Amino acid sequence: MDLPLNYNQPLTMHIDLNSCFAIIEQQANPLIRNKPVAVAAYDSPRGAVIASSYEAKALGIKLMVNVREARMLSREVIVLTPDPEKYFDAHRRFKKVLLNYTSEVTPKSVDEFVVDFKGSRAIQQGLSLEEVGYRIKEDIKEALGEYVTVNVGIATNRFLAKLAAGLHKPDGLDVLSAEHIRGVYSQLELDDLPGINTRYRARLNMAGIYTPLQFLDAPMYLLKHEVFHSIVGFYWYLRLRGHEIDSVDFGRKSFGQQYALGDKTTDLEKLSRLLMKLCEKTGRRLRGQNYNAYGIHLWLNFENRVYWAKGKKTNAPIYSTQDIYLHAQRLLYGAVIPARVTNMGVTVFNLQAATSKQIGLFDNAKLDTRSLAKAADMINNKYGEFTLVPASMANMHDVILKRVAFGSIKDI
Amino acid sequence: MREKIDEEVSVVMYYSAKQRIALPHLIHWQNKDYSVGKIGYHHTVKDGQTLHHIFEVVDKPETLWFRLNLDTSNLHWRLEAVSDGLAT
Repeated sequence: MDLPLNYNQPLTMHIDLNSCFAIIEQQANPLIRNKPVAVAAYDSPRGAVIASSYEAKALGIKLMVNVREARMLSREVIVLTPDPEKYFDAHRRFKKVLLNYTSEVTPKSVDEFVVDFKGSRAIQQGLSLEEVGYRIKEDIKEALGEYVTVNVGIATNRFLAKLAAGLHKPDGLDVLSAEHIRGVYSQLELDDLPGINTRYRARLNMAGIYTPLQFLDAPMYLLKHEVFHSIVGFYWYLRLRGHEIDSVDFGRKSFGQQYALGDKTTDLEKLSRLLMKLCEKTGRRLRGQNYNAYGIHLWLNFENRVYWAKGKKTNAPIYSTQDIYLHAQRLLYGAVIPARVTNMGVTVFNLQAATSKQIGLFDNAKLDTRSLAKAADMINNKYGEFTLVPASMANMHDVILKRVAFGSIKDI
Repeated sequence: MREKIDEEVSVVMYYSAKQRIALPHLIHWQNKDYSVGKIGYHHTVKDGQTLHHIFEVVDKPETLWFRLNLDTSNLHWRLEAVSDGLAT
């Protein structure tokens, strides 16, 4: 049986900041407004651009080009390094604006939110979501600054709302209701659909689907059994028709930190020192959210584009930085290192709330690392990050800077 | 070009009880006074328990941008960076 399009009132809003980091920098510094601005992980030739202003994008300076390439594309490009605290502040102000309209606000990343207006006060007052959208745009200018613009998309589900938000960048506002779906799909490519990557496009092409309209018209059986070979096909079938399938917010499953080495190396001693700092940052977040972990994963990227990763589950809880480091270092010393390491990352997983403590048989034989970690955290909370560090992290204050995660934001 | 400075500077600040805002008004740096024009962004960061107010401002003629840091534990101001808004 074919499922019809969702003709309910569009009550899901997707809002994202235009060129987030770059526009916040342009807001902060009026002298760089209307100029090509690139925010790069490092202001060195190989530093990757992680955000670029609309002016920079127009010159071809897109995400992940490096600083050298960006400067070759335009000598006028202003390269800045990220200021995570400022972006987190902008994120909090953004969220506060949205919470004035409804409590159903879900952050999807540092610069995008999904807002569910079902039963909200604004709707009960008889406002259309389009009016609410324009008000939010004004409120965001008030809260973040006059240069900041947002894209707003309104639809019956998150997928279509995100699609709508991208239709008229920058500073767009579009309502995508069932009546308009076919018209909008007819003007797009498969790649324009949020969530359709090269791999998915190839799968769809293999099944004879080359356009969003063909995707929409594809029977559920074909999507489920011949294109995606799983329930994912059914989810796409619903998503494309405006039925909600993505309003599941997953809880915290892991904590991790990664680092792109400015000074690439094969030296295990140097890698161990960097690893210790990654473990300390991971541990601070793990303990800050009051979790124990029962698994750890370490990965390395090498200059010759080889990737190595290994993980293991543990019986004893991982809580202190020393716990994390001990396991991570064992994994590191078991790694095959064929070339200089360019990136490394550590993740702890299998999280459990750290409310109770399982006492191990031999716990009395070693220093209570849990109490030590708590004491060290208290000192660092009071006097600043990395005031008290393990000896192996001495003189590393500026190594491994704070970064903004691209994905889901759970502990801002 | 943005240049890291990181030195203490003298700042005149005003507080408006009517508007309930406190903002830097004048910066004295390298024997020159700069009247503060537009406030680009103001946010706070915590270093341990110490709260810092970060003001990113331009001077009145809009030729220089300043990043100021007010340490609320001692009310000292630091000029963290300046920029003329050019690429190099």
